[in-house]
Amino acid sequence: MRLRLLYTSILLLAVTGCHKPYYISQHSNRHYAVGKDGKTDSSYTRFLAPYKLRMDSTMQVVIGRTDTNLTKAQPECTLGNFVADAMLQAAKQRNSNVDAAVCNYGGMRIPYINAGNITVGRMYELMPFDNALTIVEVPGKILIQWCNHMAAMKGWPVSGISYLLQDGAAEYIRINQQPIDENKIYLIATNDYLATGGDKCSFLTPLKATPVNLFIRDILIDYVKALHKDNKPLHPYIEKRVRYAE
Amino acid sequence: MLNRRSFLKKTSIGAGLLAAGSFPLESFAGSREKKITILHTNDVHSRLDPFPNDGGKLAGMGGVAARAELISQIRGECDNVLLLDAGDMLQGTPYFNMYKGEPEIKAMTMMGYDACTMGNHDFDAGIDGFARLLSFAGFPVLVANYDFTNTPLEHKTAPYTIIKKGGLKIGIFGLGIELEGLVSGAAFGNTKYNNPIPVAKAVSEKLKRDEKCDMVICLSHLGYEYETNKISDKTIAKETEYIDLIIGGHTHTFLDSPATERNAGGGETLINQVGWGGVRLGRLDYVFHSGKNPELYKSHSVNINKETSG
Repeated sequence: MRLRLLYTSILLLAVTGCHKPYYISQHSNRHYAVGKDGKTDSSYTRFLAPYKLRMDSTMQVVIGRTDTNLTKAQPECTLGNFVADAMLQAAKQRNSNVDAAVCNYGGMRIPYINAGNITVGRMYELMPFDNALTIVEVPGKILIQWCNHMAAMKGWPVSGISYLLQDGAAEYIRINQQPIDENKIYLIATNDYLATGGDKCSFLTPLKATPVNLFIRDILIDYVKALHKDNKPLHPYIEKRVRYAE
Repeated sequence: MLNRRSFLKKTSIGAGLLAAGSFPLESFAGSREKKITILHTNDVHSRLDPFPNDGGKLAGMGGVAARAELISQIRGECDNVLLLDAGDMLQGTPYFNMYKGEPEIKAMTMMGYDACTMGNHDFDAGIDGFARLLSFAGFPVLVANYDFTNTPLEHKTAPYTIIKKGGLKIGIFGLGIELEGLVSGAAFGNTKYNNPIPVAKAVSEKLKRDEKCDMVICLSHLGYEYETNKISDKTIAKETEYIDLIIGGHTHTFLDSPATERNAGGGETLINQVGWGGVRLGRLDYVFHSGKNPELYKSHSVNINKETSG
């Protein structure tokens, strides 16, 4: 009987020559927390060793410290204020007329840096992209549009700008404590990604933009190093630059 | 075997499965029941090492050495394993800044990945940079809605692949996200993005109806869902008819169990995504039967999720 069944199936396969259809009858799922049990395959550790050795000699270097936990959150966060402040400072060193700095929230690529030492590698993780500082000449009217865009995106890191988030729009916008003059041209430090229309900032692309030949990541590294040289830790705090309307 | 044991214990038809498992013709093409295990990652972002031990939420988690160990354990327990990735393999640690993706792709090849799709950050070393990496890849890069004509990636990726495993025919295709406004033009060059909805409809129909695949999997880097009308995995699930499973990425969403959507054909399409950074490995176990009335079988699914171990 079994044999006959087998012959029949072989015959059937030979005749039709095609795949017998199967149908999903059940499925189940689970997931694993990778690394939780501490078990590793050492051949991968060996494979990585030469890459890691060269990398660590550069990346494990301590450049300073933070006395505050730097966290990534919206609408405003300590990690974002650190980044925006460093960008504004670097831009002002090249052009003292720069008014403010804007960075995209998604450009920060780690959720936190805990209080303690800061390494070069941590800055690479925070800002892995080779994005360069760019100073954009932004008319007041477009700056208002930009703030509304930031508000729609639930708040981006800024320095020198403040606004209220209300129903997905920016209200009570202030630039260096002053209301925006729609007819004035403001100098805004940002990254080349946004200046070329990234993160839906296409309204910036027609504007005059001057690239500064500096990666944002190197600006952050220099900012931490400079503070450390003066024996100071990083100490950004939330100061209601971006906040929800009560 | 733990999973299989708990699986059997928790299913009301456990006894039936046990009987089917001892069916003498199981190993032949004509056997009634077949199984496949799908393991998946997304948005690993160059996390070759575990997250640093800094007291943070993800400290000590992830890393290729731990992932590889887990995968080989599972391969030891299950015969038919597919290992898939939904893009953004690259960018996020200094490994990428220094080596431009070589160790990431080599490690994935060592682990035996069967296929991946391309995420927006996989363009970060430029389209030529990614093309160079393909010489290290022992698996196909699948993306059906990017047209790479006149780019260094022309003829180097495929819209889909068909994998025959354990007597099953599994069709897998890839979908990439809109690049404009997300990736710099210099990085994506002449790549043309096509609307993923009609592409997904056409490719999944081809795989299911023409190629007669038993299962169709979509590797998507579109993102799980959006508040706006931006095209997401949920959109693809609802608008198409022949996709059984979407393995997603981009939004770094930790789904504790897959989402189920009613698709355009009235059937069920699953969507799963496992966060980012390689801290989680997703697993789906599918049981297949030959049978004239597939709808009858489709009506019951067994969920034993929310177990986290390994």
